[in-house]
Amino acid sequence: MHQREVDVSAVNGRSEADTGVVNGAELVAFVDAVMGADPAERDRARDTLRSVSSPEAFVDACAVVGAFNVVDRIADATGIPIDDTMAVMSGDVRRELDLGRFASAANSPDAT
Amino acid sequence: MTAAADTLPPLRADLVWTQRELLDRLARPGNWFSGAERLAIAAESRRADTCAVCRERAAALSPEHARGDHDRATALPDALVELAHRVRSDPPRLSRAWFDRIRGAGIDEGAYVEAVGIVALLAGLDFFCLAIGRAPYPLPEAVAGEPSRHRPAGARPGPGWVATVAPVDASGPEADLYPKLPLIPNITRALSLVPDHVRVLRSLTKSHYVALEDLTNPAVGRDLDRMQIELVAARVSALNECFY
Repeated sequence: MHQREVDVSAVNGRSEADTGVVNGAELVAFVDAVMGADPAERDRARDTLRSVSSPEAFVDACAVVGAFNVVDRIADATGIPIDDTMAVMSGDVRRELDLGRFASAANSPDAT
Repeated sequence: MTAAADTLPPLRADLVWTQRELLDRLARPGNWFSGAERLAIAAESRRADTCAVCRERAAALSPEHARGDHDRATALPDALVELAHRVRSDPPRLSRAWFDRIRGAGIDEGAYVEAVGIVALLAGLDFFCLAIGRAPYPLPEAVAGEPSRHRPAGARPGPGWVATVAPVDASGPEADLYPKLPLIPNITRALSLVPDHVRVLRSLTKSHYVALEDLTNPAVGRDLDRMQIELVAARVSALNECFY
């Protein structure tokens, strides 16, 4: 499979980062706007994403936003720890993104 | 509303089906709540979006800082109102201590899981609507009937705050809960005290993200490729400050 370099710092909102992901900047801006409090910004970000994406890709993005607002709440409200295998595989990324700063990291003491 | 946003794009059939199924199930009796109670929990969670106490808490350094009564939408017990509002509006700062207080207020473990599932699933639907540019789906009418009072025989404490059904213990009525895979992530079993929540979550994950069976296959995507999907997912979780 073709491998690409990806800048994961965009996950933490470094919007100027060249994510290495196609339409990465527009996708991050869209998520930020949807999760934010400004309806006008949400409309702008939606229009921008739709202008660079197929309708199907836009719907996919909306669906993922929905899905992760479900699973994040489930994880936080049930206190589940990160899986052992995932903890090992994601250690470098978690450290790079400083995910240990999140309060919910307390649920995975062996992974922080 | 901009010109482009006037026109909603067509939705995939599996998305439509999953969302309709989720709403229908909300209205039906569950394990610990009647259909009317489940819908009340759902409605109460939506009220968190405009609740002054929730707003104050979200802005405060400590989630314990905000005082006062929630702006409630229902006659649910205080502990359920608090659960519905907190899980909706401030999930990253939920703590074991908070969980213990909710349980201490008389909310049974199974009822807790059922309520969390309702709030979380509806939040996801509502964020989807926000993203795509449509109004939230109206809640359906309640379906009459009594809760089943079913607690899975295979439920054991952990790995988090509540008991769950491990794959090795999923038998009898829970035999279908998990696919036969080497690894079932903790998130998949987190709500297994209420098995139907697991079934709905699997369906939602498959249609809105990636099927459990395809999680470890980086080639699996849709019109959004897998890298794009994971970027969106990761950014959502970062904004939700979710370590998992």
